Amino acid sequence: MRFFNRRRKPATDISGLGVSLIALRLDEGDVAPAQGTVVIFNAAGHARRVAAGRVSCEQGETVFCFHPGPYTVDLIPFASAPEWGLRLRFVIDAANPRVTQQRFDLFLYSEAAERLELAGFGAAVEAALQMELAQGALDLPPCTSLEEWHAFRAGLNQLMYTRYGVVVDDCVPVDLGEQIDFAQILKARAQQAAEAESLADADAAATATATAAIPTANATAAATFSATAPRSAEPSAAVAPVPADIHTLSGAPSAPSTVPPPGRSPSVRGPQSAAQQDAHALRRLFIELPALSTELRSLTLPNGLPIFQQHQALLLRLGMASLNVNTMPALAWAAPEVPLEPQEQLRRSRDTLTALAALDEAWSLLARLHLASHQHWPMLLEEADRICANLETGLSLRRAPHVPRTEPSL
Amino acid sequence: MTTLSISATPTNAECRSILADGRLLTITASRRPRANRADVKCTVLGAPAIAERMQEVVRLARHTEVRFDSRDQVVLSMDIVPATTDRDWELAAVLADRIVRGVFQPATAAPSASTPVAAQAQGSSDAWHLGRVNGIVNDLRISHLGALTGHADPSSSVSTVRAWFPLHSGGINDTLGWVEVSVFPIESDAAPIDQSANATHVAAGVIEEDTIAAPGLDLSAQQEVRLTLAGARHFDGKALGRWRSVVRFGQPRFQGGSYQLALVMADRLARGREFVPRGRIIATGCSSAWHAGRVDTVEGREPKLELILKQVNAGDRVLLPKAWQDELPPGFATELRQKGASLACIDRIGMI
Repeated sequence: MRFFNRRRKPATDISGLGVSLIALRLDEGDVAPAQGTVVIFNAAGHARRVAAGRVSCEQGETVFCFHPGPYTVDLIPFASAPEWGLRLRFVIDAANPRVTQQRFDLFLYSEAAERLELAGFGAAVEAALQMELAQGALDLPPCTSLEEWHAFRAGLNQLMYTRYGVVVDDCVPVDLGEQIDFAQILKARAQQAAEAESLADADAAATATATAAIPTANATAAATFSATAPRSAEPSAAVAPVPADIHTLSGAPSAPSTVPPPGRSPSVRGPQSAAQQDAHALRRLFIELPALSTELRSLTLPNGLPIFQQHQALLLRLGMASLNVNTMPALAWAAPEVPLEPQEQLRRSRDTLTALAALDEAWSLLARLHLASHQHWPMLLEEADRICANLETGLSLRRAPHVPRTEPSL
Repeated sequence: MTTLSISATPTNAECRSILADGRLLTITASRRPRANRADVKCTVLGAPAIAERMQEVVRLARHTEVRFDSRDQVVLSMDIVPATTDRDWELAAVLADRIVRGVFQPATAAPSASTPVAAQAQGSSDAWHLGRVNGIVNDLRISHLGALTGHADPSSSVSTVRAWFPLHSGGINDTLGWVEVSVFPIESDAAPIDQSANATHVAAGVIEEDTIAAPGLDLSAQQEVRLTLAGARHFDGKALGRWRSVVRFGQPRFQGGSYQLALVMADRLARGREFVPRGRIIATGCSSAWHAGRVDTVEGREPKLELILKQVNAGDRVLLPKAWQDELPPGFATELRQKGASLACIDRIGMI
């Protein structure tokens, strides 16, 4: 029987592994290439690494194969300065024997889909880096001095290891002027603005008769749109007009047609629906929160009772958040046999994304705590308090079937 | 280790606005623990529709912020009721909400004054969630919320960046002046490239100076601005023959060339070829050889340093000539860092 199954299945496409493809999912019977490493996750999510070769796994196990690299990716640290970039070369290290769970395995299990492409990974890293720089967790100011550069590198290396489990081999500032033309981007923006204006005029002419509550509809749509790209602000507004894929290594720098027009993108959905996003985010929270708590617990604390108490309180809050995630009610139901309106489902999935953003910030906070000297701990614990508050707010709003009663404004 | 400092956040903040009918409106914001209440609460006596609009505006404008903090509730109130058609108070509401959470620190109007003057702002927008606004904050005209710290509007087709420089005028009137560079691409892209392919540096240098306009300056100052920018772009390598530029100054009557470093940095940022600071750039320095990227020293060190220390906000980047490094007053760098700003003494522009 297995023989026929195997014959019928097409061979998995492993071309590009180690170049443009970091990892991919394999099935029973596939052959992993010799340079790759195979990670097998059992049904409970525990990983074991085995040598490359023919994959043999049991029922319910998930198999990934990754290539250690090295990989090179160009990042744009500031969305508003697209011609000035960083060239990052990273590898995926052999398993660290001192930890029970490799961070890269966790990343694969929790975030990777069928294939982990280098371009997609680079975009994720770039977004994380831009967020860190905008929030001031990393500093890369103009006319960087050598000490500032070293501090930045240390922070970046730690972030990449703590958040993604990859080891930064080399990182140099590069002039991306050959691949990216800021003047072209500006021209594309002008063109889009003109198009958006003509469209808006057409819309206005078309809907001039139906005047019912247009401003409020617009405002809520706008709010929905900007909430889906969770809270990323000036950079977020900045990310939108600059095409995200403009700097990928494919060497197709001019993709102005893919840019969402700034004025009228509320209806633009990501590739995933709200329900999928919600499920994906909850899965990540479910898998990563316990791992995050474990890592936070094993930090070396500075001496002193207040810090110890704050640290304990932080662990308790993360534990409670984890419990909250584990018992999260289904998205589509307000109560048993009472379906929830689609509008409220959208709202719920937005709140899950708030919690997910807090989780990402918590990973980067962990990276900063690894490097922090003792006098920085109080400030970072204050930051942890904020992140926990965001996490709790997001989760409690996700749990509620309807938005709780707001205060009257008078 | 970098420091993130949202230092000394006030619990109350005010922002004023002049209404269309000439009355002075004060919007007061206060902050208290959220405790499961709404994130923004607005009260306007007898005008619930305006309160609702204010809440909507503030919430939309918060989407342009990076740091999300759900711990506080901000309560906003107005002392008088504006007319329903008047919308120019919106920017004041947004700023009051930002000041009370420490996201925006208004500049003190006169450095010698002991109490900070309340910010005054007029402006409204149809796209608050994108941060677009047409308004004035303390005599500074902005088209985008990021312009408060000199950043370019990420959705505009003209890239406009401001940088600040200390203007020394006898102590009591010392202020930070600003210089603004707007660049937009030259439309006919085919012709200049072909033409300058053979004699790039000779021909493009001449063309470059014709593409830079500095309205409002006298002729010699205009010439100096053009020479400075053309030289610095020559140093950059990929900047010649691509841009049409307009340079504006907040205060066009001044003497000396210490604005040059600020001008050059604003130009590099506007062209998207420099790392972006979180706050403003405050720079002083000139050069006799911008084409080599060199930064020379300028005069008036003590009053300028004093002024910078008074005016600097969290996230600002201070750039000084290298020659000043050994003569900085003791504790200057530490104090800047405590305020959340960073300092570099440089002898050339560019990476590291």
